Amino acid sequence: MRSNLIYVIFATVLLMAGILVAICLADSVPNAAGLAHAQFNGMQAGGDGAARLEHIGGLAFAFQALLLLLIVCLAALGVAEERRSPELWAYMGGTLLFSLFVWWQMYSGHQAFLETGVTSYFMGFPVATAWQVYGTWLGAIPLIILYTVGFRKFIFTFEDEQKYEQLLENIARKPEQ
Amino acid sequence: MEAYRQEIIIGAVLIYMVFCIITGLWAMRRTKNSADFFIAGRGLGPVVVSLALFSSTLSGFGFVGGPGLVYSIGVSSFWMIVISSTGYALGFFLVAKRIRMIADVRNCISLPDVLAARYNSEAVRFLIAVTIVLGVMGYLATQILAMAVVMQAILSGTAMFADIGLVACVVISSTVLIFYCVTGGIIASVYTDVVQGAIMMIAGVLILLTAMSVFDGGMQEATSIILADDGEAMMPFGAAGIMASLGWFFVFGLGLAGQPHLVTKMMMNRSISDNRTILPMSLFGYVMAALLWVSIGVIMRAAVIDGVIEPLALPDDAASLFLSIFTNPLLAGIVFAGLFAAIMSTSDAFLNIGTAAIIHDIPKAIQGHAIQNELFWARIVTVILAIVAASFALYSHFQDATLVAILGAFGWATFAASIFPVLAIGLNWKGATAMGAVAAIVSALLINFIIQLAGIVLPYGILGGLIAFIVSLVLFIAVSLVTKKPELDADMEAVLDI
Repeated sequence: MRSNLIYVIFATVLLMAGILVAICLADSVPNAAGLAHAQFNGMQAGGDGAARLEHIGGLAFAFQALLLLLIVCLAALGVAEERRSPELWAYMGGTLLFSLFVWWQMYSGHQAFLETGVTSYFMGFPVATAWQVYGTWLGAIPLIILYTVGFRKFIFTFEDEQKYEQLLENIARKPEQ
Repeated sequence: MEAYRQEIIIGAVLIYMVFCIITGLWAMRRTKNSADFFIAGRGLGPVVVSLALFSSTLSGFGFVGGPGLVYSIGVSSFWMIVISSTGYALGFFLVAKRIRMIADVRNCISLPDVLAARYNSEAVRFLIAVTIVLGVMGYLATQILAMAVVMQAILSGTAMFADIGLVACVVISSTVLIFYCVTGGIIASVYTDVVQGAIMMIAGVLILLTAMSVFDGGMQEATSIILADDGEAMMPFGAAGIMASLGWFFVFGLGLAGQPHLVTKMMMNRSISDNRTILPMSLFGYVMAALLWVSIGVIMRAAVIDGVIEPLALPDDAASLFLSIFTNPLLAGIVFAGLFAAIMSTSDAFLNIGTAAIIHDIPKAIQGHAIQNELFWARIVTVILAIVAASFALYSHFQDATLVAILGAFGWATFAASIFPVLAIGLNWKGATAMGAVAAIVSALLINFIIQLAGIVLPYGILGGLIAFIVSLVLFIAVSLVTKKPELDADMEAVLDI
């Protein structure tokens, strides 16, 4: 069966483009990209985070969720079509869910801080930021494990290696090619 | 020891530079042809490739600009580095295996070579080569300028060199860079990268430990000081806001697989199966070195807010002031050597791919064959390219700062937007066409140029590079879908099937 993965990738990118257009057309918020710090030259302050998220928070959340989907689809595109088994898709689905969980924790933690003004800390950072610092880094670890541990199953099997060596031998026999 | 701080720092930097020169002389004996000069004869082991890959990723921008960005905009800039695990993963999933195969099958020595083979198109080769040359000029000029500014700051602290000028510093630092790149080509580059990478990792870890001791309550006290001053600066989207942050996530994450100086290194390993170890090792090295970016930036912002130190004249002073205030001289020496290492490891990679584009790819695209005696001309052009970039850097510094800024627009984001779709998707989708590739490259260049020249500011801090990247992706797939599916050569068909 012909893979439809490229169409999924295309649709995802188109949706992301649409969201960017919607954000550009959304009501503007003063100092949406920060403002100069009142006291210290060279420092920026964040402005009104709650107002910013009120206008574009949902769109930005959807943009990042689509980006996480795009990342998983692109990683799957890097696996040869005949090796995109149900097992691989299940693993990729799990990876996507994990990334979305991290993203939700980060986003909702930030919202909770904006509402209450208080936060707890984890390993040196406010909790929402800790999800960003540690969670985002860890979010791609399942992909790295798949690549390293599953290298001979999904990326470059012994059968692939034989085919490749055969190809090189054929080329060596026909140097004019 | 404190009394000899400057001497210790200068000594460490001097030892590092002498090492680079010796490596250049050693590598010269191993460089026998242009394939050795540009891709090390495809014979490097996994440790060497891993260290070369990550040290080329984290340039002087990472060691100087990174802490400066945290000082300036808070957590927003973290997005550029926390995405590295995704960036490396995608780079290996999408590029590492097939770029190495095509390099082998078609005897390619550069990225434009690989893409010309993939699309059977000299137009694609030409456009990618031109993009690389433009990007390399901007990158190299800024790196050389950064190297000279740091050298001037170090030397002017001594009585002997108190009045040393920037031009002299550009000459000294560029001479070392040119020497080992010309004599040893990419072999010298990657072996100096190994030491550069090791220094950067050690520096990252030691700086983190030092940073955690600045405040009694460690990192948590520093972050709580920033949070109390401005909550948004220490929250996940920082002072620059959510769309700037997510834009960096996109451009730096996906874009890693579109950086020519990095993907070229994926052509140099001895065996394709080495990739399974190169990926985690590269990522580990990057994370260790990037600790410096986060820790210095957070501590310096907190220290200024808390009144521990005076406000900085410029955000980019964060790293050098941290070293002079909070570290002992030996650590400062190691980190300054690491700083030169970071700048040089990126510069040598750019010098190499820029030279390949000029003497190998552009002539091939125009006249259909490479020039005679490539190795000789590679050495000549490396010198010329470095001198032109150094001149740009000085002209920009003293006369017109916009020149390098415009070329600088052809930095990471433009490489990402113009090369990622064509390379990363093109190597994994047989339906990709040369027309699609041309549309993607041209649109990425035009959008970045127009946004830069016209000074367009997008709402909510949306990055121009993000717009260029998404348009380029859309056009690449759409144009490929509507143009005639290409007839692939048998070898290319076989490579894309594996």
